[in-house]
Amino acid sequence: MNVTEPTANMSINTMEQPRVKRQIKAKSKERARELLRMMMLIRRFEERTYQEYTRPGQRIGGFCHLYSGQEAVAVGISAVFQKGKDYLITAYRDHGHSLALGMDPKAAMAEMFGRATGCSKGKGGSMHFFEVENGNLGGHGIVGSQIPLGTGAAFALKYKGIPGCCFTLFGDGAINQGVHNEALNLASLWRLPVVFIVENNKVAMGTQVERASAERELERRGSGYNMPYRAFDGNDLDEVIEVVGDAAERARKGEGPTYLVANTYRFRGHSMSDAMKYRSKEELERARLRDPIILYEQRLLQQGIITTRDSEEMESEVRQIVDEAVKFADTSPHPEPEELYTDILSEKYPLHK
Amino acid sequence: MPEIQFREALRQAMVEEMERDETVFLMGEEVGEYNGAYKVSEGMLARFGPKRIIDTPISEAGFCGLGIGAAMCGLRPIVEFMSWSFSWVAIDQLVNNAANVRYMSGGQFRVPIVFRGGNGIAHQLGATHSHRMDAVYSRIPGLIVVAPSNPYDAKGLLKTSIRCDDPVIFLESEMMLNDRGEVPAEEYTLPLGVADVKRTGSDVTIISWSKCMKYALKAAEMLEAEDIDAEVIDLRTLRPLDEQTISQSIRKTHRCVIVDEDWPYCGMGAGILEKVYQHCFDDLDAPVKRVCSEDVPSPYNHYLELQMQPNPEKVVAAVKEVCYR
Repeated sequence: MNVTEPTANMSINTMEQPRVKRQIKAKSKERARELLRMMMLIRRFEERTYQEYTRPGQRIGGFCHLYSGQEAVAVGISAVFQKGKDYLITAYRDHGHSLALGMDPKAAMAEMFGRATGCSKGKGGSMHFFEVENGNLGGHGIVGSQIPLGTGAAFALKYKGIPGCCFTLFGDGAINQGVHNEALNLASLWRLPVVFIVENNKVAMGTQVERASAERELERRGSGYNMPYRAFDGNDLDEVIEVVGDAAERARKGEGPTYLVANTYRFRGHSMSDAMKYRSKEELERARLRDPIILYEQRLLQQGIITTRDSEEMESEVRQIVDEAVKFADTSPHPEPEELYTDILSEKYPLHK
Repeated sequence: MPEIQFREALRQAMVEEMERDETVFLMGEEVGEYNGAYKVSEGMLARFGPKRIIDTPISEAGFCGLGIGAAMCGLRPIVEFMSWSFSWVAIDQLVNNAANVRYMSGGQFRVPIVFRGGNGIAHQLGATHSHRMDAVYSRIPGLIVVAPSNPYDAKGLLKTSIRCDDPVIFLESEMMLNDRGEVPAEEYTLPLGVADVKRTGSDVTIISWSKCMKYALKAAEMLEAEDIDAEVIDLRTLRPLDEQTISQSIRKTHRCVIVDEDWPYCGMGAGILEKVYQHCFDDLDAPVKRVCSEDVPSPYNHYLELQMQPNPEKVVAAVKEVCYR
């Protein structure tokens, strides 16, 4: 990939309608259907999470950040993710990435219910999903804090001579943290196999990009580190697969990191308590026209890869999966009281070694 | 037994563990081509090459986080802080990531990493470069905190720290690096979480660690002349604390003085004092006294800096007070 000229930071008003006729980048038609289904699953999972969080007798606690609207980013990455070699790390809006990498929706929902059957045994919550066997290095709660960790995972790959890469994700808010600068510099200085991906959903909690970043073309925040940088349409699954796939290949070949800005939009608030007074109804309506799931579904329909009936079946499948996940979470036990004291240290002390 | 410097003991520990385990590497500011800001890593770049002795930019948060990520993925980094005072800018990485990631993931990750470097007041470095991080990190569940006082302990404890699967905060002192001590040529390790009674006595228990152990031992010598027989405990590990060794000693002596160079309020000594009262309140014949630094920022002026810190005379005075002498 060549260093691209900076392009205008696409706002939701200026983003073009995606090309319906675009070539499908999934490896097969079957894979394309799976990717669509995964995006539907994530959406259904998130919308159900919203219902469970807000219903009386709330069973999901703490802070909870929904991924609705950004599905194409996580699912596009999962299409190029090489399990067993690659890693992914992200921030607290982590449900979509975890599901896309293969987390059982039951373990994910149970974690939010704080149950012993959750992916982190009920000790992490919504913001801290981890799954080591899938290369999922977690959701991280402190904005930007995971950027050096992802860089370190890439360092470990290079050190061990494994041709993998670490997809290191963060939001547009995180680019203003100090460690963003430190990690980008280290990654490029040591040519580490990192793919940095800014999920630019245009607003850090309630602060729009233009009120937080002096440089509005966010991909340029990746300049000055001697690595390629570019922005792309994060709502177009095929574009995600293409752009992120190229950067991953580059990393795996030892050519170093790439800085990518996925322009996207979140349909829900920052977290559950967010009334979204900072954006208009019209803006949201316009954004809905670029719903990544509808865009991909239309493309697959028009190219004859799915029928309307396939699509309806998928919808009903994911609904059932999510229903079962909620049932599973709700009937799972809370952690035993002694679990408070486990999983803190790996060793027993006094330690003789 | 060969007598070597404290810095050589640290170096021997790192070299031996790097030879033993390919996944161990050293990373930090000036550890390679400069041969170490304080020459702890002298010669290691020539021996192991740039893949394993890694000079970093001045990016403490960045390279600490990078080390933690690498540890989560199967490596065993040793991260050198030129000064522990610089860890303030990396504290989110140490506390939120190194210490928490195992718990937050329900035990899915191990974080085998050692952070090491000079801690505490050195010589006229002023308020920003003289921080004592003992209590800052010892209060964090998920971390191990080690603070040796002599070359023999330093080598044995650092070797175990490198083999340990938990994140270890290893506190040295620039003021101890030239200290010499006997270190056996043959391999040995020392346990983490075990204090060492450096001098036995029957009249009073002096608890200390790291640099202040010298003041405690010197004070014990001075107290002999006053016919006070002091027992001196070197904690060696601050977290987890060896409460048993402390309790056993106080049940024998019934009097206790805690010596450290941290600040008095919420300092490391305060945490230890709470444990002493918890376990030994009824065994004590006098309230415990603490000798610590004055409650002020570290000054530049040499004499003020000395005035701020503990010294043997202050320890002697405190011991006499708890002995009602």
